[in-house]
Amino acid sequence: MSNKAVISIKDLKKHFPVKNVWGTDIALVKALDGVDLKIESGKTFGIVGESGCGKTTLMRTLLRLVEPTSGSVVLSEELTRGQFSCNNLEDLTSDELRRFRRQIGVVFQDPMGALNPRMLIKDIVSEPLVIHGKTDNTRERVIELLKNVGLGEEHRYRYPHEFSGGQRQRIVIARALALEPKILVLDEPTSALDVSVQAQILNLLNDLQRKYDLTYIFISHDLSVIEYMCDRLAVMYLGKVVEEADTEELFSNPQHPYTKALLSATPNFEKDKEKIMILGDVPSPITYLDESEVKLATEMTDQERLEIKAIEGKGIDYIVRSSLNEVFPLKKIANEHYARVK
Amino acid sequence: MLEIKDLKTNFNTYDGVVKALDGVNLSIKDGEIFGLVGETGSGKSVTAYSVLKLLPKTAEIVAGKIILNGEDITDATEDRLRQIRGGEIGIIFQDPLSALNPVMTVNEQVGEILVLHQDAEINKLAYEKEIPVYKSEKWKSSPGVEFTIMAICISFISLFTMIGQFTFGLPFLFVIGIMFLRDYLQKEVPESALDLMVIEALSRVKLPNPKQIASSYPHELSGGMQQRVMIAMALAGKAKMLIADEPTTALDVTIQAQILQLIKDIQKEENMSVLLITHDLGVVAETCEKVAVMYKGKIVEEASVDQIFTNPQHEYTKALLNAIPKGGKERLKVPEIGEAGAI
Repeated sequence: MSNKAVISIKDLKKHFPVKNVWGTDIALVKALDGVDLKIESGKTFGIVGESGCGKTTLMRTLLRLVEPTSGSVVLSEELTRGQFSCNNLEDLTSDELRRFRRQIGVVFQDPMGALNPRMLIKDIVSEPLVIHGKTDNTRERVIELLKNVGLGEEHRYRYPHEFSGGQRQRIVIARALALEPKILVLDEPTSALDVSVQAQILNLLNDLQRKYDLTYIFISHDLSVIEYMCDRLAVMYLGKVVEEADTEELFSNPQHPYTKALLSATPNFEKDKEKIMILGDVPSPITYLDESEVKLATEMTDQERLEIKAIEGKGIDYIVRSSLNEVFPLKKIANEHYARVK
Repeated sequence: MLEIKDLKTNFNTYDGVVKALDGVNLSIKDGEIFGLVGETGSGKSVTAYSVLKLLPKTAEIVAGKIILNGEDITDATEDRLRQIRGGEIGIIFQDPLSALNPVMTVNEQVGEILVLHQDAEINKLAYEKEIPVYKSEKWKSSPGVEFTIMAICISFISLFTMIGQFTFGLPFLFVIGIMFLRDYLQKEVPESALDLMVIEALSRVKLPNPKQIASSYPHELSGGMQQRVMIAMALAGKAKMLIADEPTTALDVTIQAQILQLIKDIQKEENMSVLLITHDLGVVAETCEKVAVMYKGKIVEEASVDQIFTNPQHEYTKALLNAIPKGGKERLKVPEIGEAGAI
């Protein structure tokens, strides 16, 4: 991994307790369970995984919207600019945290849900500027931002419902760029859009990245989009990174069984390709504190670990989860290619 | 199987008439998976809803004919339509959680379809196996009546206890005891024919542990399982045709692959016709045999799957195919069509 990491995540864990009626913890949801990532400056880092694998929790911990259970997020000189007392996200004071959050913009999946329907576009785009007290020449700044994303001056006095889905997503991007962030977190930015509009937004994002030298953290489940956008890729499964590699390497040489299944499940134009099917759903990330079933994990074969034959209560969930965690650590496959395999 | 001839559907709005369908021609043969592709607002869902007359009140079918198995159903009566919906054409919607009733168990919802379309079969099964038809005999009276009796007994007992004459309450205590005893003794009552049919319908869509799933509510199931229940409901009426309106859009890719495989398997087993509506060209490429591309209420191209991906004819189809990221890093070609919204 390159030295120019803008954010380094080290063994990040976030466990949510599950309480019973009397308020004692009976189980843990391991939303993040030891995630190590280095996000390089000026590149696009992709995170793939299914619902419930911890992508969103990772994003929220990066912004410190939720406090991690353990682990650290180290910020680079580029982000701190020597203004902060330390470079560890955990130890920032609340004022520093506010200044840090300026440097990360977020674009959400559903643009209509992210825009206040009762606010004018100019107010929506200038809101971050007002909150962070940069109100000198708001009018010019808003016009500039809208032009950047391919909208015009005349759009300022309209409401979100007057725009199409693609235009709304452009407005969200303009708002995310208002404070000149260094990093843009894109949480499924195109999954609510049609392919032709998706192509427009992806092109726009590429243009903006070149223009402002932005770092993208791109969360998606659409592998064709990920392959197009990202330089480096991490596949997450049940709060763990199961494989991490450069995009081309990962698509040409997947190692982990889950990555293989994911790649083969994506619909593509080769009709008679053989598919690797995962049976059943992704198991629940809940870990019961009663550890009586631990032994079984090591007794299973590789094939059994992937095939979740039936969902018969917590037993099998637990086996699959622990087989992914305890049995295999991340192993180096090739240069900058890591996977959790034997 | 299904033939649509020059179908025109209009929406009357305050801003004027929206021509959602502007002369659609389709013909789906027996045992064929037919894909209908298009972007938001192109009219693909309206086509499906026009066939089943599930349109909102503002919409009206102005012209055209819909022919199902040689029968013109364009002006079918409400009674006939009720037979067709579920009985001859099953439908799956995009978001299973909002299509399922949140306050009914899976058993009740699948059972409802069976009672409507498979009544004769249920009676036959009940007669053969000598089991009750609809409900098991466990609750002869409704739960409401039992609850009321229980409440009256308890209030009398507490009343007598309060005035210091507990012994007067003993008969009521006895009644409560008998009710519990009856419950306990009737635990082993055989299932009804309807229950058996529901379980059979659920196992047809390869749901693990159908008995447990039948007694659960939709929110207790995962997205993939909910969609399987939807498919079970669409198939329960022994429909020969299935309309799937974006069946996998709300699902993850691995679950999507499972559901598509299931639809393909069932289509082969039962030799059904499937109309698969989607915006994902990859899904079409994998599942369908024939495909039609819709744009602004019209079908702009219709061809076999192999042809449409190797040799697209219409400009819009070409633009749509170009807009999909495929490996390489070169700039995507954006089709110059603007977003749909044709008034």
